[in-house]
Amino acid sequence: MALDDIPLFSMLKSHMGYLSERQRLIAGNVANSDTPGYTPQDLDNFTTNVGSTHAAPLAMAQVTPALTNPAHLSPPASATKGAWQAKPNPDSETRMDGNQVVLEEQMMKMSDARMNYDAAIGFYEKSLNMLQLAVKAPGK
Amino acid sequence: MADPQIPSIATMSVAASALRAQQSRMRVIAENMANADSVSQTAGGDPYRRQVPVFSPTVLPDGTKGVAMSRVVQDQTPFKTEYRPGHPSADAKGYVKLPNVDPLVEAMDMGAAQRAYAANLSVIETAREMQSRTLDLLNK
Repeated sequence: MALDDIPLFSMLKSHMGYLSERQRLIAGNVANSDTPGYTPQDLDNFTTNVGSTHAAPLAMAQVTPALTNPAHLSPPASATKGAWQAKPNPDSETRMDGNQVVLEEQMMKMSDARMNYDAAIGFYEKSLNMLQLAVKAPGK
Repeated sequence: MADPQIPSIATMSVAASALRAQQSRMRVIAENMANADSVSQTAGGDPYRRQVPVFSPTVLPDGTKGVAMSRVVQDQTPFKTEYRPGHPSADAKGYVKLPNVDPLVEAMDMGAAQRAYAANLSVIETAREMQSRTLDLLNK
């Protein structure tokens, strides 16, 4: 039995995947904070289906093959379905040059992602400790 | 290059592209500042023209979306003129064209570049801390 078969672990894993993906988008937004006409992107809120055998999708595990020949088939819908969708998410202000990034709001999102990531890691650690406690020989 | 499949590494390469872009911007600002008094070599000719950096989103070599200084355009603001009949660059009427560089505007731009640079550094810092938190799980 893999660790992922435990719903809590698979949920935490997908949550961490989601947060890393979000962090990557925020990095792109901050990097383009001076690009004229740029609209920042963000992910939808994290949702997961704890009861299902396959909990929330793992953005990290997504590999899309490159189509280098017209005869190549595009990947099946299931391969692209499930990755977190990046959506345009403008901040509260638009500058004269059409740039919609507000650095402060991006920084807040970044700390938010980081705090959630720390929380997820904390849960992961505690749950691992519980498992270790369970497999320890009694009285040791 | 870094593996774009790992979001935290992709995050860092996006932020690093922004650091590079901001450095290039600083170079352009320095050129403007240095040439704030550069007049024409010939009598009545045009002096130094202010350069403006333009950023645009770019796909980095490792496939992630970062930013780059795509081009440097010339500022079309009219030149200032000053009456200096004895100057070697003066035209027939005794006026010398001075560069359209305003040191105050350059100082503001420099502040903005510095702020953006710091923001990207903090993105790298956060991504690094998130990754090292994950690696800490191995020590438990």
